[in-house]
Amino acid sequence: MAFKLGLFKTSVARKNVMAITGLFTAFFLIIHLAGNLILILPDSMFPIEFWGNVANQHDMYNAYSHFLVHFWPISIVAYILYAGLALHVVDAIIITLTNHKAKGEKYVKTDNSTSTWYSRNMGILGTIIGIFIVIHMGQFWLKYKVLGTEHDLYDLVVRTFKLTWVVVLYEIGIIALGFHLVHGFTSAHRSLGMYPKSWMKILKYIGVCFGIGMAVLYGIIPLIIYFQ
Amino acid sequence: MKITLKIWRQESAKAKGKLETYQLNEVEQDMSFLEMLDMLNEDLAVKGERSVEFDHDCREGICGQCSLVINGQAHGPESHYTTCQTHMRSFKDGDTIFIEPFRAKAFPVIRDLKVNRDSFDTIIQAGGYISAFTGNAPEANNIPIHHDISESAFDSAACIGCGACVATCKNSSAALFVSAKISHLAKLPQGKVERKERVEWMITAHDEEGFGSCTHTGACAMVCPQEVQLLDITRMNFEFNRALCIS
Repeated sequence: MAFKLGLFKTSVARKNVMAITGLFTAFFLIIHLAGNLILILPDSMFPIEFWGNVANQHDMYNAYSHFLVHFWPISIVAYILYAGLALHVVDAIIITLTNHKAKGEKYVKTDNSTSTWYSRNMGILGTIIGIFIVIHMGQFWLKYKVLGTEHDLYDLVVRTFKLTWVVVLYEIGIIALGFHLVHGFTSAHRSLGMYPKSWMKILKYIGVCFGIGMAVLYGIIPLIIYFQ
Repeated sequence: MKITLKIWRQESAKAKGKLETYQLNEVEQDMSFLEMLDMLNEDLAVKGERSVEFDHDCREGICGQCSLVINGQAHGPESHYTTCQTHMRSFKDGDTIFIEPFRAKAFPVIRDLKVNRDSFDTIIQAGGYISAFTGNAPEANNIPIHHDISESAFDSAACIGCGACVATCKNSSAALFVSAKISHLAKLPQGKVERKERVEWMITAHDEEGFGSCTHTGACAMVCPQEVQLLDITRMNFEFNRALCIS
């Protein structure tokens, strides 16, 4: 059994952890985006009948965020997500250090034409995303949920996205996220061993569409609010 | 053709190496890359200098002995070629060519451009075999195998173990090499006996030999002389997870 436990320390098992935590976080992005889109949808889109007296974007967004903070099952999923992200980061650091040890002396002449730059720099892209997440959570999650200094989240979001440096920072973070997803989505499925050739071809296209789609949809929200 | 060569010279595994510059003035386009190096070595012998040491054997692209990273690419500028099958027509008159050994911790330099690839043998010894009764070879048609499966297994079996995948990989991972053998045997009925153990043993050996992990950049499959596919790595991961689940 000791040998079997040892298998969890192998390079392939480590990549499995990266894949599972990465895909879980990627799935969360879809849910997160659904909430964000309230910020750019016109008032006429909201179903007044279903939401009772909630009839405009401002109230709808605040009602949604109130629900997220106060509905306990969501908190449980949130803690799983934080743990998953932490594991993703810790595992990435372990893998990077191990890979660094495996490398020989540097080549004097290098030719990188055989692979894409974003597939080689997932660590750098991940670090940019990590810094972005810390700033992002400091701006909203900390003020709204933890400290409770802000009660009108819609107002806070609009105020924040009127600042030029914030919008620039968000666009950088989101572009990094897009490239991270384009490679990460397919790579994660490869790590988990989805090997039939036909699947792999489809997954590659889904990965590219998912990465670009997420980057575009997340990216336009700060821009629309900024220019409104 | 006039060619300037910048070649990695290193006295021994522990010595510090550096690039040395050599000039060749009468290189023919029809020469293979290794013949060009032979020409340089003849010049060096006449001058009484130590020749440049490099690995080679069959010079037919099938033995996996030749190595070399040429201008930053394992086996040179042509994709899916071995160094011995690379010819000087791939270069222009007046070119400067950088020649370095395959680089990875698991491939220590022996001297100049020669590297020790024993780690590959250790991985194969760990599980790259099948259990078979000794005695006369059995009748080949006793075990029916679908044509597509035997072709696919043969594509994986084509790996010549040159190590270009490791030399190219940014993490010095031997995933393509290991996966080629695992996929080859997993596809065939003869490989089913050790199917579960093989993947465990070989991946453990891969890590113990000091290779890095696969990030799926795909660079290995782009340089592989035998065009072993990245899909084999995915197949290996499937086999590994299958072994984890049933253990």
